[in-house]
Amino acid sequence: MQRFSFIHVLAWATACFLILPILVVIPISVTPERYLSLPTNSMSFGHYANLVGDARWSKSILDSLIVASGATVLSTALGTAFAVGAWRLGVPLARRLRLLMLAPIIVPPIVHAIAFYRAWAVVGLLDSYLGLVLIHAMKGLPFVVLTVAASLANLDHRLEQAARSLGATPGQAMRWVVLPQVATGVVSGAAFAFITSWDETIVALFVTSRRVVTLPRRIWEGLADNIDPAIAALGTLMVLITVAAVVINTLRTQRRTA
Amino acid sequence: MSAAAVASSGTPRGERLYWALLVLPCVFLGLFYVVPVINVLVMSVTVPRLGLSNYADLVANPAVRRVLWTTVRIGVLTTAITLLLGYIVAYALVHTSARQRQTLLAIVVASFWISVLIRAFAWVAILQSAGLVNSALMGLGLIDSPLQLVRNEVGVMIGMVHYMLPYAILPLYANMSGIDRSLVPAARALGATPAQAFRWVFLPMSLPGLIGAGIIVLIFSLGFYITPAILGGGKTIMVAEYISVQISETLRWGLAAMLATTLLASVLLLVFWLSRFMDVEAALRK
Amino acid sequence: MKDSLILAGIEKRYGDAVALQATDLEIKAGEFVTLLGPSGSGKTTILMSIAGFVPPSAGRILLDGQDVTGLPPERRNFGVVFQGYALFPHLTVNDNVGFPLRARGIRGADAQRKIDAVLDMAQLRAFARRLPRQLSGGQQQRVALARALVFEPELLLLDEPLSALDRALRKDFQAEFKAIHRQVGTTFIYVTHDQEEALTMSDRIVILDRGRILQSAPPSELYERPATEFVARFLGKSNFLRGRITRVADGMADLQCPALTSRVSVGRQDALAIGANAVAALRPEKVKLQRSEAPADGCSATGQVADITYLGSVIDVTLALADGTTLAATIPAGALALSEGETLVASWAPDAAILVEPDVERGA
Repeated sequence: MQRFSFIHVLAWATACFLILPILVVIPISVTPERYLSLPTNSMSFGHYANLVGDARWSKSILDSLIVASGATVLSTALGTAFAVGAWRLGVPLARRLRLLMLAPIIVPPIVHAIAFYRAWAVVGLLDSYLGLVLIHAMKGLPFVVLTVAASLANLDHRLEQAARSLGATPGQAMRWVVLPQVATGVVSGAAFAFITSWDETIVALFVTSRRVVTLPRRIWEGLADNIDPAIAALGTLMVLITVAAVVINTLRTQRRTA
Repeated sequence: MSAAAVASSGTPRGERLYWALLVLPCVFLGLFYVVPVINVLVMSVTVPRLGLSNYADLVANPAVRRVLWTTVRIGVLTTAITLLLGYIVAYALVHTSARQRQTLLAIVVASFWISVLIRAFAWVAILQSAGLVNSALMGLGLIDSPLQLVRNEVGVMIGMVHYMLPYAILPLYANMSGIDRSLVPAARALGATPAQAFRWVFLPMSLPGLIGAGIIVLIFSLGFYITPAILGGGKTIMVAEYISVQISETLRWGLAAMLATTLLASVLLLVFWLSRFMDVEAALRK
Repeated sequence: MKDSLILAGIEKRYGDAVALQATDLEIKAGEFVTLLGPSGSGKTTILMSIAGFVPPSAGRILLDGQDVTGLPPERRNFGVVFQGYALFPHLTVNDNVGFPLRARGIRGADAQRKIDAVLDMAQLRAFARRLPRQLSGGQQQRVALARALVFEPELLLLDEPLSALDRALRKDFQAEFKAIHRQVGTTFIYVTHDQEEALTMSDRIVILDRGRILQSAPPSELYERPATEFVARFLGKSNFLRGRITRVADGMADLQCPALTSRVSVGRQDALAIGANAVAALRPEKVKLQRSEAPADGCSATGQVADITYLGSVIDVTLALADGTTLAATIPAGALALSEGETLVASWAPDAAILVEPDVERGA
């Protein structure tokens, strides 16, 4: 019944616009030149080698991993705790506190940048791993709260009551019954938190300088002076991981609904 | 035992655990997040001296006025273009085969997850003077000298629309999926032309999603930093970049804090407005 | 008495709203008691207070003389079968049933022996490795029951356990609950809004409405001698004769109604005054219909047949009386050939009608 109409042509044109940058970084990443260009005659994986060989890139990859892991652990623990507490108590106060939890998504990043630049200078957390971990944990917190709360929304309160009536203490009821039910929500919340930290640029630009240099900061600096095709190599790797994750996820939901 | 005594001792023991779970993250956020952000608001009226002198710059300072005007103009234009394209994609998503829908959705979601920096980088590569577009056009002999596509508003808006599209498409798609598929055929059966059925039935029903998506895109556009900074190349300056310059170069903390406060207030106002059209939480969930 | 459960003046308020008025109830060990009432009657509030999930605003709960009011649910040792079963979706049938043993630190062969025994009783042995979502509604119900019984609780609380099942399955389970109750000997407290479930299974039914107990009695007494108009209407069908008391003597009274006069049993209504307004309940199956004259004892009314409904073994007949009210009668099919509009005499034994407390607040 659906014809391939003008609307569909426009939609697919927009989709091409959406994937154009993805399609462009891949050829740039194999250019043999040292400047931004498309490979003409030959291909080279030299820029990939740079990511590993160049100490600055490998340090940044390591720094990003350290910060993102720390932030993920912290925001997942706190976000899950909050979502479970709010779900179980269901008090109006919890509803209002939830809006507070969402603030780090809504507040513009530049406001965070000023706020943490000032505050971290006072407490001596500038250019420290802990300082950036704390900030990224707070930026990831809303995503954990949202995903865990979404998976709790359909959870029957009677499951917890049933566990208690069968002799489980409040802690046991949570560990044995509530948490297993929200495990997928917790994992996807953690993934959101990790990616949020991995991509976070603006605040990192303000609160770090020499000791901690995360990948976005390194890329930003690379973009500022002369554009290094190694960024395309890194971008390609990140694109491939993202596409793989999206495809796997699509196939999984497809199988579940089939 | 009195009724009051029973009621107070009746707070189930298990609830204390959950109160702790609820309160601990709030204390963490209050201490490490709310205090620094409030400090920015305070700075806007205390640095360099107590008073509203920073806010006077909103009207008195031509540079500030120009930056704000640029921000609003680019924000609104970006929102309008994003909504138009996003509406088309969402409409196609709802009105297409399952196979096509999956491919389209995968493209939207994948572009959603690509790092904003990598995307800005790619757009520079595509749009710069020696970039893909200009090389292609010159190679075809359509133009003699390269078009100026970056370091201006065109480049900024291309990058911003690209970043914002998934934020518009996903809520619009969610909204349109909820519209009963038999309504438009019903309108047709009652004598409406396809255009009338769309205008009188489908469009009004998708309006809340359209407004909600528009507000979300506007909120993110107004505070956008990375894409304008990279693709604007210092020529087109939006408020976030201007604030950053005040801090790192001219050290005018009061002005920076005032602009940050103004930006925050505008965004919160928009969120409040958004909450009247849709569930804010659902809108923010990726 | 061992393991008797006493509710002493328990009450539940949410702000100004009263979910349960001060209530006293005693339940003997081994008894099968059903709390019956419409939604909002307070029956679930009572059950959840006993289970420990709803702290009462006032009053005490005593088990075998010990105050358990402030005890958390996990220390009460009561089995609860929840509405919708509340099976743990991530655990197999075996692990669901083993859950209470795990919480009590019982592990290994000991635990498995108990699990197997109760799975056998519930005929679930073959499904032990399945997840709840792989079971039918009836099987899930059995798992919920097995799980609540495996730790040999002192009390079993059941909250509308059959409401999700279809009619035929509900009937099977009524018989099964009764059999299991006899077998394990545990006290059962059963909440339902279904009068048929209550009548078939219970040793005693407690009828609730709007947060208070109206009557507590064995099913037959409740049916034969309802205390209030609400009870008579909620359990089965009933005619209500409304009139004035003209005479009281020896547990019987004369009720003067606009269209008829009847001798009625005083029932549980004492302190009746001559001339007072009163209501008597009269079950339709106690009404006899005939074409001849009224019997001498005066319990009769004359009316036209307004409606005939054939129900197989019986026929429901509605008579329109002279004052515009109607009288329902249920008579054996084939006893009388009837046609609509014909005039009949309805009669009943003097003790078939019983005075009940009228629903004052409910209005017309």
